[in-house]
Amino acid sequence: MSNFYNMPKLPTENSPKVEIFVDDKAVMVPGDTNLLEALKAVGIETPHVCYHPYLPVSGNCRQCLVEQEGPRGRMLVIACYTPVAPGMKIYTPASSARVKNARKATQEFMLVNHPLDCPICDKAGECTLQENYMECGQNEGRLRPEYGKNYHGNPVHQFVDAKGQVRGGKHVDIGPRILLDEERCVQCDRCVRFMRSVAKDEQLQLAGRADHTYITTFPGEKLDHEYDLCVTDVCPTGAMTAKYFRFQKRVWLLSHTPTISMDDSLGANIWIDHADGKIYRVMPRCNPEVNRSWLSNTSRMAFQNFNKNRLPAIGGVKVIKEALASATGKIALVAGGECTIEDLAALRMLKESLGDRADIFGGSLKIKSEPDGIAKSGDPMANRAGFKLLGLADDNLWDLAQNVSNYSVLVCVNNNIVGDGNKSMDVIEKIPTRIVLSAFNDETANMATLAYGIRHWSEVQGTMVNSLNILQKLNAAPTCPDAELRPAYEVLSELAGNTFTCAYDAFKKAAEYAPALAGLAYDSIKSTGLHLEGGNA
Amino acid sequence: MARVIKQKPMTIIERLYIFEAMRGLWTTLKHAARGLFRYEQLPTISYPEGQPEINNGYRAKHRLMLRPDGTPRCVACGMCAAACPAHCIFIEATQSDDPRIEKRVMRFDIDHLVCVFCGLCAEACPVDALRMDTKKIVFEHRTREEFVAHLSDLIDWDPKDYPEDAQSQMAPGGTKNAEARKVWGMEVK
Repeated sequence: MSNFYNMPKLPTENSPKVEIFVDDKAVMVPGDTNLLEALKAVGIETPHVCYHPYLPVSGNCRQCLVEQEGPRGRMLVIACYTPVAPGMKIYTPASSARVKNARKATQEFMLVNHPLDCPICDKAGECTLQENYMECGQNEGRLRPEYGKNYHGNPVHQFVDAKGQVRGGKHVDIGPRILLDEERCVQCDRCVRFMRSVAKDEQLQLAGRADHTYITTFPGEKLDHEYDLCVTDVCPTGAMTAKYFRFQKRVWLLSHTPTISMDDSLGANIWIDHADGKIYRVMPRCNPEVNRSWLSNTSRMAFQNFNKNRLPAIGGVKVIKEALASATGKIALVAGGECTIEDLAALRMLKESLGDRADIFGGSLKIKSEPDGIAKSGDPMANRAGFKLLGLADDNLWDLAQNVSNYSVLVCVNNNIVGDGNKSMDVIEKIPTRIVLSAFNDETANMATLAYGIRHWSEVQGTMVNSLNILQKLNAAPTCPDAELRPAYEVLSELAGNTFTCAYDAFKKAAEYAPALAGLAYDSIKSTGLHLEGGNA
Repeated sequence: MARVIKQKPMTIIERLYIFEAMRGLWTTLKHAARGLFRYEQLPTISYPEGQPEINNGYRAKHRLMLRPDGTPRCVACGMCAAACPAHCIFIEATQSDDPRIEKRVMRFDIDHLVCVFCGLCAEACPVDALRMDTKKIVFEHRTREEFVAHLSDLIDWDPKDYPEDAQSQMAPGGTKNAEARKVWGMEVK
């Protein structure tokens, strides 16, 4: 196998349309892409295993075969590596029995040495092989006797089971977060290509030849990379499984909430997979412009702390209101990067209701790093562009630290200013009244005179603007540990005297502050977001 | 379409009522006498002293089959829970200590107050771990919680109660356990 493959060209809205003939019917398809994507654009799904839209094309699975009319008659070609040409004649299983048989045979070969592990496989339910079997296989097993399977795998890990069947390594520890099941691997090469061309750190390799090929790391090395859990997503079978999700839940029992990861200003699109009010995993949600299909381990594993160390909503908003009303000096309103546009609109409304005595501060003291070009911008302040959009300061926490004696009240929303690895903000202790609205009982909440729990970003509806100036929509996963907790915009707007009962009220208020949001509704923001014109991210 | 059923007109004896009433009383008396002197011929059973005879296919209380080493066969795949129309099966899985086995059941609860005894769970089981052949049909408990059968209850059965079933005899205490254990304890290379 060569070390160099081409990235597939994906169709865009501006792709030139060309006419091709599919099953003798003329259809207009995007002209600058491969056949598989072109057929998908007109609604014909082609089963495939090794092809992935954001990985280089390898073409080793031969599952996406179609027939093409050529100079020497109709030939079987793979749809994923055949570029679309005007006037080409394509035959799919709808008209060609040969394609149907070829796909069925490929499917049968793929399953010959695949274990019947579906009952105990974490991938079952979202497995490409299962989908392909229903789509184009449905063969009866022809392996006699049934325990004559020949698993590809490292010979070191092989053993003989009670039936006399030679088995492969079932849980090979290839890294701190991932287990490899060598029996289930179909050698599609996706994980290798991911580590090579996306993660740019070639830690996985195919070893051996032909029937003895197996996935492995270099001797003595481990699969350990910031994006290594993405190989469990790209793996079409259950060969690569994440240790944290191993045997936790069957995937068909999970409900999915599409939302945005708020721990980075790129705002990676994610699915929150939850059941019975508990988050079981976070999966990347495909957005071609933002994070494609990738998600960093930090963003993916962050959910494990979402329901830990939460701050309860005790005391009620009334107490905070009284504290604000009785304040004589100036008031500092501090917002953090996890605030949605709605929270910021409510905060600005609160500032206006307090008049000149209140100042808004924003920013993050966490360390900023460089964009990694995959799914992180390196900026820990997720909604920085949203701050700019609403005309709020996004980086003036130092002003607060220096002029701390001018203020008598501090209201800190979703910003752990004390705990973010920086001692310099301990000076806020000089402010006599410290009100903290936070999801977590963190260091800032511990230092507060009045701490009030609010909902975490995974449990609220809202919007954020990412570093690419795309307005993205957050949806509330029903995983809030306490029904008493309310979203920040609701609490802030009640303090301002004009309670928003739903997120959309706050969004309409935000549209008054930011003309770019005017005329928008939540329904008009697509799941992949909306490019804001005139933003300044 | 409605169908008109012609009733046979009553005879004069029937119309007189007294003879028919006597005939009915005679039937009652006959059965009462049989209860007193020919008790064993009655079609009813005097439950709970007498227990009904239960056929082999009867769907009774569940049990979990055991491997030769005594661990439950269940691989915690959740197929029974997925098939269950009453949603009365609760399963949690964990990693097995045995290197040959991937997944092991940690919690297996069947709420018998919710169960409708349809048998779909036993049919769905891919490893023949869940069966409903215990022929136990009596569920008597003091609290609702006790009606929930846990893993320990489900694996608590005696191979001597299933003499004809070869699979049950492979469990510890069964007649075929020794030879099954030989195969099961095969060397792992």
